[in-house]
Order: sequence, then C-alpha cells, then structure tokens
Amino acid sequence: MAPPVEYYLLLSAAVFCIGLFGILTRRNALMFLMSVELMLNAANINFIAFSFQHGNLTGQVFSLFTMALAAAEVAVGIGIILVLYRNFQDVDVTKAATMRW
Amino acid sequence: MLIETLIAVTFVGSLVTFAAPNRWAGELAFGISALPFVGGLVMYSQFDGSGNALMGGELAFEQSAEWITLGAYSLNWHTGLDGISMPLVVLTTVLTTLAIASAWTPIDERQSQFYGLVLFMEAGLLGVFAALDFFVWFVFWEAVLVPLYLLIGIWGGPRRKYAAIKVFVYTNVASLAMFIGFVALVFNLPIETFDLPTVAQALANDRLQAPGWTSVSALKTGAFVAMFAGFAVKVPVVPFHTWLPDAHVEAPTPVSVLLAGVLLKMGTYALLRFNFTMLADVATQYAEVIAVFAVVSVIYGALLALAQQDLKRIVAYSSVSSMGYVILGLVAYTTYGVGGATFQMISHGLISGLMFMAVGVIYNTTHTRMVTDMSGLADRMPVTVGILIGGAFGYMGLPLMSGFAAEFFVFLGAFRSGTLSGAPVFTAVAMFGIVIVAGYLLFAMQRTLFGPFRLDTDYEVGPAPLHDVAPLFALLLLVIALGVAPDLFFDMIRDAVNQMPLVEADLGGGY
Amino acid sequence: MFEYAPAVALLPFVSFLIALSVGSYMPKKGAFAGIAATGGSLLLSVWAFVTVSGGEVYNEPDLFTWVAAEELSLSFGILIDPLSAMMLIIVSLVAFLVHVFSLGYMNDEGETGLPRYYAELGLFTFSMLAFVYASNLLMAFMFFELVGLCSYLLIGFWFRTESAASAAKKAFLVTRFGDYFFLIGVIGVIATFGTAQFAGQESFPVLAEHALVDGETEAMTTFLGLGEQAWVTLLGMLVLGGVIGKSAQYPLHTWLPDAMEGPTTVSALIHAATMVAAGVYLVARMYGFYALSPTVLTFIAFVGGFTALFAATMGVIKDDIKRVLAYSTISQYGYMMLGLGAGGFVAGSFHLMNHAFFKALLFLGSGSVIVLMHHEQDMWEMGGLKDKAPATYYTFLAGSLALAGIIPFSGFWSKDEILFEALHYGLGNQPLLLGAYAMGLVAVFFTGFYTFRMVFLTFHGDPRSDTARDPHPVGWSVKVPLVVLGLLATFIGFVNMVPVADLLNMDIEFLHQWLDGPEETVTSVHHYEELVHDAAGFEAADIGPYLPGALSLGLALAGAGLAHMLYNVPDPEPHTEKLGNIRTLLKRNYYQDEYQVWIAEGLTLPVARAANKFDRTVVDGAVNGISRVSLDSGSRLKQVQTGVVTNYAALLTFGLVALLVVVGLYGGWF
Repeated sequence: MAPPVEYYLLLSAAVFCIGLFGILTRRNALMFLMSVELMLNAANINFIAFSFQHGNLTGQVFSLFTMALAAAEVAVGIGIILVLYRNFQDVDVTKAATMRW
Repeated sequence: MLIETLIAVTFVGSLVTFAAPNRWAGELAFGISALPFVGGLVMYSQFDGSGNALMGGELAFEQSAEWITLGAYSLNWHTGLDGISMPLVVLTTVLTTLAIASAWTPIDERQSQFYGLVLFMEAGLLGVFAALDFFVWFVFWEAVLVPLYLLIGIWGGPRRKYAAIKVFVYTNVASLAMFIGFVALVFNLPIETFDLPTVAQALANDRLQAPGWTSVSALKTGAFVAMFAGFAVKVPVVPFHTWLPDAHVEAPTPVSVLLAGVLLKMGTYALLRFNFTMLADVATQYAEVIAVFAVVSVIYGALLALAQQDLKRIVAYSSVSSMGYVILGLVAYTTYGVGGATFQMISHGLISGLMFMAVGVIYNTTHTRMVTDMSGLADRMPVTVGILIGGAFGYMGLPLMSGFAAEFFVFLGAFRSGTLSGAPVFTAVAMFGIVIVAGYLLFAMQRTLFGPFRLDTDYEVGPAPLHDVAPLFALLLLVIALGVAPDLFFDMIRDAVNQMPLVEADLGGGY
Repeated sequence: MFEYAPAVALLPFVSFLIALSVGSYMPKKGAFAGIAATGGSLLLSVWAFVTVSGGEVYNEPDLFTWVAAEELSLSFGILIDPLSAMMLIIVSLVAFLVHVFSLGYMNDEGETGLPRYYAELGLFTFSMLAFVYASNLLMAFMFFELVGLCSYLLIGFWFRTESAASAAKKAFLVTRFGDYFFLIGVIGVIATFGTAQFAGQESFPVLAEHALVDGETEAMTTFLGLGEQAWVTLLGMLVLGGVIGKSAQYPLHTWLPDAMEGPTTVSALIHAATMVAAGVYLVARMYGFYALSPTVLTFIAFVGGFTALFAATMGVIKDDIKRVLAYSTISQYGYMMLGLGAGGFVAGSFHLMNHAFFKALLFLGSGSVIVLMHHEQDMWEMGGLKDKAPATYYTFLAGSLALAGIIPFSGFWSKDEILFEALHYGLGNQPLLLGAYAMGLVAVFFTGFYTFRMVFLTFHGDPRSDTARDPHPVGWSVKVPLVVLGLLATFIGFVNMVPVADLLNMDIEFLHQWLDGPEETVTSVHHYEELVHDAAGFEAADIGPYLPGALSLGLALAGAGLAHMLYNVPDPEPHTEKLGNIRTLLKRNYYQDEYQVWIAEGLTLPVARAANKFDRTVVDGAVNGISRVSLDSGSRLKQVQTGVVTNYAALLTFGLVALLVVVGLYGGWF
C-alpha cells in the first residue's frame, strides 16, 4: 500500500518553499542556482506523484524533460555566474544592477 | 487607374530620389514631382464626377479591387475623386512641386533623403484624398506622419526634436481617438466592410444598431466627439493647436509650406467626410457648440498672431485663424458654407504656402525671422517684397484674390444657415477676424518691409535668385486666378457639396 | 456705345500692366501709358454721358459670372445711369489731369520708383471706375477694397520713411474697420434679398421698398427675429460703416490727415476728389434703400453735420498746407453726408461733383506751391507767392472761393442747397435735422476762416523765407490741369442754381433734371423724393431759399473777413497761439488719434500678449503637462525595476499569493 498523494504534495511544497526561501534571502548566485534546482525538483516530485496516481507515464516523461532542462539551465547559469564574477569580482546578485534605468 | 498611377509614380519617384546623389537630387525631385503635377492637371481637365464620394452619384476615376479579408470584414482597395477631393489633389501636386523648388536654397545637406521624404509624403497625401476605404485611407493617413516627423526632426531648427516628437505624438494620439470612434460605428452597423461610401450610406439610412448598454444617439454622439477630437488636432482647432506653431517654427521652409498648405487640409477634409457627412445629424444637433469652437479659433488665433515677433509664428497662428473659417463654413450646412469651407482649404493652402515661402526667401538672405531684427527690406529685395505684400493682402481677403472668395462664401453660407441658430451673430463675430488679420500683417509689414533699411544680423541683402522667386510668383498668379474665377474649382465643389445630407441649397434659409 | 463700357475701366488696367512690366524702359517711366489710358477712359465716359443724356441707361447685371451657382449666382455687371455717368466723368477727368500734373510734379522732380507710381495710379483708376459703375453691391464692395489697397500703396509710396509706412498702415486699418461692417452689410443684403443689384425692378432697394411700403414681405428674409423695418435699418447702418471709413467721417476720419504722407498728386486724386468720395457715392448709389429708413437718414445727417463742424475747427490751426486741405476734405464730405441724410439726393450729389473739382484743384494747387517752395509745406515759411506764380494763385483762389462757399463759385450753390434741405425738413417734421443743420451752419464760418487763412498765409504778405523769395518755376504740365480745374470750380455750380431758378421762376436746375433720368433703373430723383416723403416720412416746411442762403453766405464772408483782418497783413502773426488750451486740444485733434492708437496698441496688443501668455502657459502647458505627467510617472514606475533578481522573485511570490487569496476568496475556497 503506497502512501497517499497528499504526502508527496506536502514534500514537494516543502522543497519548493525551501527553494523559494533560498531565492528570496540569498545573494550568492550559486545558492540561487541551487534554490532554483530545488524548486524544479519540487515540480518533478509533483509530476511523478500524479503520474503514479493516475497510472500513466506522461508525468514521468515530463519530469525527464525537466531534468534535461535543468541540466541545460545549470550549464547556462554557471556560465552566467562565471561572467558575472569576471565583471564584478563577486557573485553577489544585487551588485549586478548596472543595466537598470 | 490614373490615381493609382499617380500615387505609384510618386512613390517610385521617392525611392529613386533616395538613391540619387545629393548634388542633383533637388533637380531630380523637381522633375519627378512634375509628373504628378501634370497628372493632376490631366485629371482636372478630364474630371467628370458630379456626385459626392460618400453619398453616391457619379465619381471620377473610381477604382475598386478585392484586397484581403480580416475575419468577417473585407478590406478593399477603393479610390475615387469627387468635386471635394479633386481640387485637393491638384493643390497637393502643385504645392509639392513648388515646395521642392523652394527647397533648393535652404536645404544644403542630405538632399536626396530630404527630397525622397517629400515625395513620399506627397504619395501619402494623394492617397489620403483619393482613398474611399477606411483602411486604405488610414494607412495613407498615418504614412504622411512618418516623413513629416523625419523632415522636421532632421532638417529643422534648434528645437527640432521637441517639435517633431510633439507633432508625432500629438497627432498620433488623436488618430487613436478617431480610429476608436470610427470603428465603434462600423462594428455596430450591419455591414461587413470598411468601405467609406457603404458606411456613410448605411448611417444615412439609420441602420446603426446600438449595443445593449447604450443608445443609438449616444453612440453617434460618442463617435462624433471622438472623431472630432481626433481631426481637430490635425486642423487644428483651438485648444488643440499648440503643436502647430512649434512645428512651423522648427520646420524648414518647404516643409512648412506643405504642412500649412496641405497637411492641415487633411484634418478639415476628414472632418468634412467623416463628421459632417456621415454624422450630419449629430453635427447639426451640436451646431452651436461647434460654431463656438470655430469662432474662438478665428479670433483667438488672430489675437495670438498679433502678439508674435517671429514672422513664421505669425503665419502659423494665422493658419489657426483661417482654419476656424473652414469649421464655421462646415457647420453652416449650406452650399456656400460647406463649399466655401472647401474652397477656403484650397485658397488657404495656396496663400499660406505663398506666405511661408516668401518668409523663407527672406530668411535665406537675412538669416533671421524676427520682426524686430530688420526693417526696410523693400529697398533691397523689391520683387520678393512685392509678392509678399500681394500674398499678405490675399491673406487679408483682398477681393479678386482667392482668400476673399473663400471667406465671402463661408460668411455668406454661414450667415443664412438654417441649422445654426444665431448664425448671423456667429458670422459677424467670426468676421472680425478680417480686421485683426489686417492688423497684424500690416504691423509686421510696416516694421520689416518699410522704413529705412536696417538688419541686425549683418548679412548682405540683395535680390533673391530666380528659382526662389518664381514659385512665389506662380502661387500669386494662382491666388489671383482663383479669386477672379473661383468657379475653376467652386463649380465642382458645389456639385459634391449639394449631395451631402442636410445641406441647404435654396436661398432664404434663415430661422 | 455701351458695348465699350468695360473699356472705361479696363484701359487704366492695361496701363497698370504696362507700367508695372515695362514702365522702367519707357520714356517718362510709364506716364504716357497712364495719360493715354485715362484720356481714353475720359473720352469713353463723355460718350457714355452723351448717350445717357439721350435717355438711355445701361444696366447689364451679368457681364462676367463670378460664381454660377444655380440658386444664387454672383456676377459682375455694369450700371450706367445719370449718377454713374456723371461720376465716371469726374473720376476719369481728375485722373487724367492728375496724370498730366504728375509729369511736372513727379517726373521733373526726379523721383525714383516712377513705374511703380504710375502702375499704382493705373490700378487705382481701374478700381475706382469699376466701383463707380458696379451694378451690384458685392462688386462695389470688391472694388471699394481694391481702391483701399491702392490708397495703401500710394500713401506708402515713399516707403523708406517711417511716417509714410505708418500712415499707409493706419489708412488701411481704419478703413478696414469700417469695411468690416460693410461686408456684414453686403452679406446681409444678399442673404435677405437674394440679390445685390442696385438698379432695376429686381434690385434690392426696390425689393425692400416692396416689403416696407407695399407690405410684400415675402420679398425679403429677415434674421435674428427682427421686423422688416428694423432689419432694413440695421443693414443700412452696417453698410454705412464702410461709408464712414472710406469717406473719413467721425469717428473713422483719423486716417485721412495722415494720408497726406503720400505724394500731393495722390492726395488730390485719391484722398480728396475720388476715393474718399466712394463712401458718399455709395450712399447716393443705393439711396433708394436708405430713403426707406428715417433712422438711418437722420443718423447720416447727424454724422455728416458733426463731422463738418468737427473737422472744420481742427483745420483752423493747422500750419501744413496739405493738412488744412485734409481737414477741409473731411469737413466737406460731412456736408455731403448731411445733404444726403437730410433727404437732399441732388444736393449731396451736386456737392460731390463740385467738391471733386475744387478740391482736386486746391490739392494740385498746393502741389504747385510745394514745387515752388522746394517741398516745404509749412505755410509760415511761405508768403508773397501771389506775384511770383500768378497762374497758381488765381486758380487756387478760385478753388478757395468755391471751398469757402462764396457766391457765385461752385461750392456756394451746392453747400447752400444742402443746408436748405436740412433746414426745410428740419422745420417740417424732423426737428433732429435742425441740430445737424446748426452744426453745418456754424462750420460755414470756420470754413471761410481757415480757407482764407491758408490763402493769405501762402500767397499774400511778405515772403517769410528764402525759398519764398526765389521760388522754383513750374511747367505747363502743372499749369494746364490747374487752369482746367479752375474754370470748372468757378462755373460748374451754374448747373443747379436753386435760388436763382426760384427767383427767376425758370427751369434751370439742370443737374436735378439730369439725375431725374429714365424710369427703368428705379434710380431717378423723383422716385427718391417720393420715398423720402412717403417711406421715411419727411415733411418739408414751406420756406424760401433766400434767407438761409444769405445767412450761410454771410457766415462764410464773416469767416473770410476775419481771416483777412488777421492774416492779410505784410507780416502776419500766429494769432491762434492766443487760443491757449483750446489750441492744444485742436492741435492734438481732440485726442482722436490718441484714443484710436490706444485701442490698437494700448488695449488690443496687451490683450493679445495676455492671450499669448495664456496660450504658452495654460493651453500649451496642458499639452506639455500631459506629456510631463506620463514621463514623470514612467520614471517613478521604473524605480520598481531594481535590477536585483531577489526583488523580482519576491514580487512574483507576493503576486502569486495575492492572486491565490483573491481567487480563493471569490471562488469560495474558504
């Protein structure tokens, strides 16, 4: 007997909120990236939970897509962070505000 | 096909001019603009339309073709000329050609682009006056604005950017209001086209159905107000006029000529077509309010002109005043009133063009336009000054010049208007404009042209070159010709005007 | 003959074109073209005059269609009836003589810009002649305005001086103010009657008469809820605005003295004999209309009488010979208005003719004096010219006697008739006219005084300057016009000697008979007399012409005698200095110029400046304000874009939460 879907949703919500908290409070770009990953994975948990409950594979396939996307995102993200560091000698996201206004 | 050929030739000509080298772009553009000029004359001589473009009857050079379908609505290419638009087409071609000639002296950089834009603008103007489908018309209407923006913004005076942006934004916002007003009408009519005659005739047959939340009369009034506000900016009617003096002061002479001569007429032409033909019943219902706008434009514009020190500003404000007469004539709903208003569009186009050109010629030699900076120019450039005096008296409404004919028709039509209550009083008050116009032009002439010679800018002043004076002379002759024989245009104008709804042709209206 | 009628006006137009285009290459700079053209016009006018005296009139309302609208067409036509035939001769004769005189006055004095001068003279003669035989009010208005343009150009002929340019502007502006009312009147007439014809059964005076006298009110449409009588009165008053402006009547008289900045020939032709007459002529032209309204008639008489006296008093203290003549011109046109307003159509027209000749003579005479004096115009610098220039002196004297109204010179007969008309209707049933009569009568005394003050100061006594001792000689082209006009000024009055006719009981009122032409144009004198009697209700008292005539002659002689006493001495003193404050008042022209300049520059200009300020700050301020508000709010709003990703994420989160709460509340989740 598998645990009911609410538990998965609670887990996913918790992971999402952790990620959100990270984005809202951290200034380090790497921490940002990790938080985004957490949020993405929260979504993945939801996908798989519902996929399991409904008994079709679409959700799981979709989470595979998400993982691929996340990988690509990390690649691009780290690239941006590198450039950021090169230009600002820091990875603090609040410093990179020269393009505003 | 003549209209299409005219527009196409002008458009292609503008592209060719863009590609031409700066050295002889002016001469090339002059030659190219001679083509639509001749074409316009040919069309005038072959003109056989006796109807009204919107209300039916025989149109000249009518052309219609399927174009695209947008949802349930079909957009068609539809052009044609009647007695109201034919003179305006001729005016456009004449003034563009002369304006190009007058640009030879003042425009000394990026000539090919300048002349290309002028020709592009001419193509747009021809389209505005010829188009009979709303979307075609609207495309041309907006297409005129782009070259105007560039012409002022690139070749203008010191505050050219401010002026160009002001013109563009102001008139574009106004276009939006007008667009909403018109589309609101079309969407509530049981027709699936933007064809202007169809719309006008459907409105005339009371086929407008209001949506549940409003009534037909409220919808009509709303649309009228939106369109009136939109076109009032273009005309311009006080209090929407402030872009005009800024634009004129900054614009180079040939652009001022076209702006005052033709572009303002887009506004009055559109008012005539949209507000006063399609929604004649609303216009007569609010006749007194509109007449107040007209009278205020006349008197207030003239007073403002009286206070100016810059010759171009004087002529610019006097345009506001003259356009007030057009509105007064339109709201009268008599043959002489509406016909006179149309005639005033032509007449003012020629005379204000003449005045701006003459001021431009003076500016070319003196490098100042301030009344206080000069005096006694008649001593040094007698021919130019002579023509300028002629033009000024034309502006004052000297008989046997077109200005008098136009103003007289407007006054006569307005005086015996059957739809405007208190018409004689409105007319009499508006007519006081002819005293003020004499006042400011005579004062300005006395200070700048007469008296002992003096020029604060210390330039050598001598007679202007022939290619500067010849366009002035041509315009003066045209002004006199139209004043002696106004029926050259007024005849066909009357044919078209008499078929407008509510226009009273018989004598003895009164109220 | 009448098929050549258009040529009367067109000949000078051709000379205008010739002088303008090739004048500078011609001998005498276009003068001969002008002389030939005006001579031709004169001959044709005489021919027309002869034809009209044969009982024919010419009323062709549609020679050239200006606007061929079916419902209301406007056209140019020609009306030659006795009145216009007479006026044609006056205008073309004076124009011809002035052209001849110009040879001596302008060419011989080495003026520059002569082609322009002759072109403008030609244009003026064309416009004036066309105005005179215009067949309808609209055409009359159009040429009335063109005449004003020529006046502007000719006053400003010496445009390099500030004063000429200013005077030209003033002349056009003041008359334009009158023409504003005139134009409303023209439009009102056309809108009311559907026609602006002067003569014939379909003319507007006849239609108005049908409406007012016969009660056929469908002949006219009135506006503004006014009755027929009131509307006709209003239209008459409006047209009168143009008359008052052009004929320099109070309060629009101020331009005429300044107009003397133009060449003296121009003053003679335009600002004395012809153009200024246009206003009075217009009243005579549409007299059938004015005779319908006693209010307007009385008003005309009053304005005329007042102007006659008012201008005459100002003429008393002027030192510039041309200024004296200018004020006398205003005063004399006042007499004509008085005559016409007092129901004296013949009297007014008679004085119009006499005045044209003697005033042209006086101006040309003063032109001759100015040549003699090397362009000195101050009479205190002259004196003793009598013996050195006898031709000028005797012709000038004839003109002065006519102006002062001394029997038997022409001015006496017409002025006497005018005063008699005013008196006998005044004693009849129009007591208001008595006031106008009184003013006219007092003015006779002043006229006699200033006229002979001018003559004595200029020609009598000892020379008071070197130029007066050794004057510049004048040629034949100056003397011939003077002699012709001198003869006319002396004898032309004999055509209508009312007291003599009454005394001898003979039918010698030739002008009266002449103007009492054929019936078909409905412009005959006896028709007008009927109208004045029946429609306007003027009743004449039965008085003889001798006592009033003797009274005015006595006053004129008294004025002349006083001048003789004070100024006909070898070394006259400036007696008017003793007038003190009154002299200052007169010298400043009763402050009429001041208040009109104040209206233009002290009132209108500040209002215009205030409007301009209002426009720049409030109206344009609103436009710029709207754009500034959008710009400002944009720059405020853009602060939200901090560039810090965390803030964006926080906004996103709060937005989502807020959305969820809202959706939840309204969707009933809770």
